[in-house]
Amino acid sequence: MSATVYYEPYKLPAGILALAVHSMFFALLYFGFNWNRQASSPATMSVELWSSLPEEVVATPVNPKVEEVVPPPQEKIVEPDIVMPDKNKVASKPVETKPEKKKPVPRPVEGVKHKPDTQKIAEQNLNARIADQQAASIQAERIRQDEQAAANGRVVDEYKTKIHDKIKRNVSTIPDVANDARAEFLVTLLPGGAVLKAELKKSSGNAAYDDAVERAILKSDPLPLPPDVQLFNRFRELDLVFKPAE
Amino acid sequence: MEVTQDLSFVHLISHASVLVQLVMGLLLVVSLMSWWYIFLKMFAIRSEVRLTEEFEDAFWHNQNLNELYKYANSSSLRHQGALERIFAAGFTEFVKLKKQHGVDASAVMEGTRRAMRATYQREMDRLESHLAFLASVGSVSPYVGLFGTVWGIMNAFRGLANVGQATLAHVAPGIAEALVATAMGLFAAIPAVVAYNRYAYDINRLSTRFDSFTEEFSNVLQRQP
Repeated sequence: MSATVYYEPYKLPAGILALAVHSMFFALLYFGFNWNRQASSPATMSVELWSSLPEEVVATPVNPKVEEVVPPPQEKIVEPDIVMPDKNKVASKPVETKPEKKKPVPRPVEGVKHKPDTQKIAEQNLNARIADQQAASIQAERIRQDEQAAANGRVVDEYKTKIHDKIKRNVSTIPDVANDARAEFLVTLLPGGAVLKAELKKSSGNAAYDDAVERAILKSDPLPLPPDVQLFNRFRELDLVFKPAE
Repeated sequence: MEVTQDLSFVHLISHASVLVQLVMGLLLVVSLMSWWYIFLKMFAIRSEVRLTEEFEDAFWHNQNLNELYKYANSSSLRHQGALERIFAAGFTEFVKLKKQHGVDASAVMEGTRRAMRATYQREMDRLESHLAFLASVGSVSPYVGLFGTVWGIMNAFRGLANVGQATLAHVAPGIAEALVATAMGLFAAIPAVVAYNRYAYDINRLSTRFDSFTEEFSNVLQRQP
């Protein structure tokens, strides 16, 4: 019997079934899991707290009033002409106002143009107001920054006190410690509040008390930290002073 | 510092490193082939068992060998089982040797057995084809997947070293994408191992049946005048 070419009738159905199994597998992987993670921890979110509304609210109603004054003397096409240079001026130095002031001067000589004057006045008015607003908003910004810095400072202080209190609670009482004893520690923190190391900077003179405080610092791990991650830099290294009398 | 929020499946695969992607592609091809062979062998072995039963039935109910030979040859190649081919090869050889005068009975039986043996071996070879592939897929593809995973995790940790403040969120996507490779390796390996064991057992049983049939058929032929 010579070599026979065997008939394989099942190649196609087997291939189709194999593909079906794989598509099922990937469908399972794709739909079987909830691949999207939930919203990340609030630690990454930063929120600005404003005590008062920003100045912009006041600024917007002023502009339309001025524009309404300007249109009557000339056609409407002028409107953008006026508005556009204004914006430039707002953006750049006030030096540009001088050449424009000079321009209108020859005009009265040429003809009886009353209209440009009103326009000029309106323009000047506008400039003055915008400058005022800018100054005001810059000041407001500065105030806000100051306020925020102050708020941050408050938060930092609050948490420093919290840290100090937490450690304090864990310090076991040591007999025969002088009331004026003062132990200074340099505590290095990791993000999240874990204590990396606690280093004795200045001994209280009583080794037992120093040890007690060091144990308390390590025991207080994790230390409370403000939720704003950006403030962590101010907690990375903490100078903490402990007195038994407190 | 950018932590990816999107951990979708497509994202995982498309953002894996090139080597991990290669491993995943290889495993996909291997897995497709192994499943194709699994189904191919499943159909082939099932039909072989059915045809063997049918022919054994016909053999024991029909004592006329000439009719049986016609029956075996009449069925088209598609419906011809391995046992029918063994029978046909043995019977053809037997008739040829019988026609030659001066060949003694034991020599005739020797030749017939040799012919059947040859066909039997060819049939076994056909049945066992691709089984070696399934066996090696079963033993190797978990390692291939593991290799992809280890590589991916190495990359993930190297990325972690570049980040100052390390969180789990930095390593997790890398590890997840690396683990897809292991999942694919296991997906290819488990069915391959199961199928290999199952088919090896089935083929072993078939081979025992063919063997006993060869012996019995030799006895029947020996009784022929």
